[in-house]
Parts: sequence; structure tokens; C-alpha cells
Amino acid sequence: MKSWNSNLTAGASILTIFAALSLGPVVMATTHLGHPPLTDLNLTNIAPFTNSEHILGTDAMGRDLFSMLAWGALGSLSVALVASFTSVFVGNLFGSLSALLGGFVDNIMMRLVDCLLAIPPVILLLTLSTFLTAPEFTAKLPLFLCSLLSVSASSDGLLPLFTVTVAIAATTWLESARVARSRVLSIKTEEYCTAALALGDSNLQLLRRHLLPALVTTAVVEATLLVSDAIIMESGLSFLGLGLGPQTPSWGSMLRDAQVSLIQGNWWGALAPGLAIVLTVISIHLIGQGFLELRSAKVHGHIHGVGLKAR
Amino acid sequence: MLSLIVRRALSAVPMLFLLSIVSFCLIRALPGDPVDVMLGSAQKEIAPEQLSMLRAEFGLDKSPESQYWLWLKGWFYQGKASASNIQGNQQNQINQADLKKSTALGLSYRDGRPVKDVIIERLPATLALVGLALVISFASGMALGAALACLSLLSERDGPLAVWAARAETAAVTLTLAVYSAPNFWMAFIAIAIIARSAFLAPLPILGLHAPGEDATALGVLGHLILPALLLSARRTAKIALFIRSLAIDEIGREYVLTALAKGLSMGQVIVRHVLGNCLLPIVNLAGLSLPGLISGSVLIETVFCLPGMGRLMFESTLGRNYPVLMGLFMLYGTVVVISNLLADIASTCLDPRLKEAN
Repeated sequence: MKSWNSNLTAGASILTIFAALSLGPVVMATTHLGHPPLTDLNLTNIAPFTNSEHILGTDAMGRDLFSMLAWGALGSLSVALVASFTSVFVGNLFGSLSALLGGFVDNIMMRLVDCLLAIPPVILLLTLSTFLTAPEFTAKLPLFLCSLLSVSASSDGLLPLFTVTVAIAATTWLESARVARSRVLSIKTEEYCTAALALGDSNLQLLRRHLLPALVTTAVVEATLLVSDAIIMESGLSFLGLGLGPQTPSWGSMLRDAQVSLIQGNWWGALAPGLAIVLTVISIHLIGQGFLELRSAKVHGHIHGVGLKAR
Repeated sequence: MLSLIVRRALSAVPMLFLLSIVSFCLIRALPGDPVDVMLGSAQKEIAPEQLSMLRAEFGLDKSPESQYWLWLKGWFYQGKASASNIQGNQQNQINQADLKKSTALGLSYRDGRPVKDVIIERLPATLALVGLALVISFASGMALGAALACLSLLSERDGPLAVWAARAETAAVTLTLAVYSAPNFWMAFIAIAIIARSAFLAPLPILGLHAPGEDATALGVLGHLILPALLLSARRTAKIALFIRSLAIDEIGREYVLTALAKGLSMGQVIVRHVLGNCLLPIVNLAGLSLPGLISGSVLIETVFCLPGMGRLMFESTLGRNYPVLMGLFMLYGTVVVISNLLADIASTCLDPRLKEAN
């Protein structure tokens, strides 16, 4: 076996580039220079590689595409990462609780998950994000959120980040809840769990000490693969106008802006964020693939279709 | 077998009931009063009595439980209650029974038409789009997957051909993965841009269901739907292809293939007689699971291509807090998904005797 997994390396390096790109805005934000690129109506629709100041060109509103991409990377990646890890955590917690409680409660909890799974994800996502972005809800939230994060009330851009993240997490936790439930049901019968129960552990102690640690490995792989779905979901949501706004640009909202300027012949404005999404999602698949290969080269070798021929 | 099917079908009924409760709660949890959203800033000029009359007409003054109960009863009144519209109710003395029926049936808040009519009007476009996409994704996905698997089999042999096969396989798999990674609405407007910019492709139909000023003929509508359906199915096709590739490689690596080869069968015979049958089960399951994804995608694709489908209706109703329409759509989508899962379940039970015994 090679000491370096080529899929993992390739995926990780692509992702690192985008992560580095998104660090730019973070650094700027901490030095109080940070705001998304401003519109400059004198410089609209500059084609890429023609202007030394704007290497990737500008969009229909005269914003530099490269810095927009960097800000978009920050928005998209942070939403996707936080949303997927939250959703996998919630899903695992829900699933293992359901398996532990058993009986009637388990039945109800799982039927609830089944019901929500029957609603197509984007439909659920739309409803949830309309719920979260309605003024009745958001008017109360900023104060609470600001006091929670101890940031100044001027950072309004945080609000859409929060709502989009919650909406995506609330849509995607269902699958992992099911997986976690079936895993816990099988782990629970293993001897060390029986031993722990015999030693007087309560269900909650069992969950904390033995079950959740046992779930961590699969959960991390699950979350990594979910990041790609979350990125695509976020872009769709922003495209429909329910996602991130101009204060916190994302690749999805760049695509929405680009749809308008496409008519003006500005194809690069649509191409760049789309390619960024494609590359990121591919890199995440490669990383997930690499993980699986490292874990068990034979069985899972080609679950996601790339690489290794398990023979 | 029949009893199994009946049992499965019956188990879907409480599921749908629960679905109606869950979606009712979800929809009513949306903040904002439909009347407020509908009237917007004009609300200030309208007398409070009229506002409350409007609310009473929609049944919004009742408690959520009784609203849900009325909605549920509507399913059984559906045949009898005709579309008595709001204006009629307003002018006449409001007959209590009539009001009950009309609210139970569910009238769209937006234009006062029965929800059933509103949805049925939008149904054909989405049905055609999703159906076409389902067919395309399975036909092309299976062909592509088989081709990829063949390439990977070729690449294991010796000789210069194998090297090329290996390269082609890597390229094809990467490309398929790229298609799987691209949001479909993005591909859609790149496609529109390409078609609009090239003189050769420009006559192709892009937007809407039929050309403006023309009647919708079946052929014309089909022509307009091909591109959206193709783009809607793209991600699904890629996923199916990758899935089938890995499935086929997995199956061909099994011992029974070796045994069959040792018996003296050719590789082609082994694949037709043994491997295909074993691959069928996961594919059927995948077919049952692919509907929610396609329906999700249809919301975005309909937006990009200006198709008058249910996805658009769904989006508009969410923004306008059109509760009855939303409720109808949720139930319709949920029912379709539940039924497709049921069909996949039944089909896989038919295919696999082990599952039959387990039941």
C-alpha cells in the first residue's frame, strides 16, 4: 500500500487552496478593512485577463471577481462546514437517543424522521428558510445572536449566515439519524455495552461514554460527504433569493447575480463561481473517498466511484 | 405475495396521516399572517372588520386544531363540494355549511380557486419534466455505468490497449464526478448562454412550454422540455453511472463469477446470466430513492426555464403564505414519494426471494 493516498492528497490540496482563498476576507475582517468588494459602476463587465488590477475581471456591478470569489469561499465554505457538522451531530444524537429509549418513543421518533424524509429536500429547505428569514423571526434574533456572540449589532451580515446554516442543517440531519439509530442498535448488543450497563451505567452515561465515541468515525466521514451537498443546497437557496445576501456573498448569490449579467455577454461571472463549486465538491468527494480507502481498502474501495480497483 | 403488497400499502396510510400532521405544523409555523402578506401595505386602508371578515372566510380565526380538522374533512367532502367561490359567499348570506365545505376543500388564498384546480393546472409540466428526467437518467446512467465498468475491465488486461483504457476511464470518471458536483441550475444557464450565443444552436427552443403565440402541441412541448429534462437528470445520471460502475466491478470480482468462468462460460454469458440479475436489486432501490432528488431539482430548473410547474407554484405559495396550496403540494409530494418507495419495496421483494421469506 502506498503511504500517500492520491485521492486524499488531490482532494485536500484543492480544498486547501479554497480555504486559503477564504482566509483573505477573514484577515481583512479582523483588521477592520473587511467588507465585500464594493460596486464600481465605471468598471462593469471587464473580461478576465485584460486588466492587471482585476485579473479575473469584474461582474455586472463592477465588483472584482477574484475578491468576490474569496468572499464567496468564506460564505459558502463556512455555511457548509458548520451546517453539515451540526446536522450530523444532531442526527447522531437523535438517532442514538431513539435507539436507546426504544419501544413507543423510538417508534414515534423514527416515524417523524420518515415523514420528513418523504418531503423532497428542497421543498423542506424552502419552507424552513422562509420561516427563518421572515421579519417576525429575524427581528428578535439579531439582539439575541449578538449578545450570544458578543459582536457589535452592526455585523448584520451574520444573520443570513445563521439562518441558512440552520435551514440546511434542519433539512439534512434525517439520514444520519437513521444511520446512527441502526448503528447504535447493533453496538448496544456488544459485550462492552452490556458490561457497562451491568456495572450500573445509566442510558445517558452509556451514550456519553461508549456510544457517541463509537459513532465518531462514521460521523466524520458522513459530515465530510455532507459538506458537498450543503454547498450545492446553499447555492440553490441563494439562487432563489432566500440565501446569503450582498453583505455576505457566497458562490450561490454570485450565480444569481450572474444570471442577470449573462444577457450582457458576461459569461465569466457565471463560470467562475460555478467552477469553484464544482472543484470544491469534487475535492470533498475525493477526500471522502480517500478516507474510505484508508479505512478499508477492499470493501469500500469504490463506493463513490473513484480510484482504487479493489481486487 | 398479494397479502404482502396489501400489508405494505396499508402501512403507508398512517404514514400519510402523520405526514399531514407534520406538514400542517410545519406550514402553520411559518410566521406572518396570510392576510397581512396578501394585502401588503394596502392593509392600513382597510377597516379592521373587513380584515377579520377575510380571516373568517379563510378559516384563520379558528384554532389550529379545528383548522386541521376541517382540512382533513375536506378530503371526504371533495366530491360533493363544488367550487363555490369567495365572491359568491360574500354576497349571499353566508351559509354555515357552505363555508365549511369551501374552507374544508381548501381555496387558494391568492385567487380563491380550489386548490385542486390550481395544482392540477400546474401538474402536467412538472410530471412531464420529472418523468422525462427519470427516464433519461436511468437509460443514460445505466449505459454510461456499463461503459465505465467495461473500460475498467479492459484496463486490467495487458497490452497498450489497457493503458489507454485506464486513461479513458480516469478521464470519464472524473468528468462524471464533475457533472455530479455541479448545481443543475448553473449548468442550465450555462447551456442557455451557449445556445443563445451560437448561431447554429439558436433556433433550439429554450424557455417556457411552447413558443409564444403558438398553441401547445405535444411535439412542441416535448421539444421545449428536452433541454430542461436533460439538465435536471444530469446529476442523477452521473450518480447512477458511478453507482452502477462500482456495483458491476464489485459483482464481477465475486467468487460466483470465477466459478461460472471455471465451468467454461464466456465472460459475456456470465454477465448476462448471473451478474445482471444480481445488479438489478440495488438499481431498483435506487430508482425508488431518486424521486425526491429529481423533484427538488425541478424547483430550480423550472425557475430557470420559466416552466409553469408545481415547483414554481410551491415557491410562490411559500412566499405568499398560501397555506391551502402549500398543504396540498406537501401532501402530493409526500404521497408520490411514499408510493414510489412502496413500489421499489414491492419490486425488490419480487426480485429477491430472501426478502420474501423475511416478511
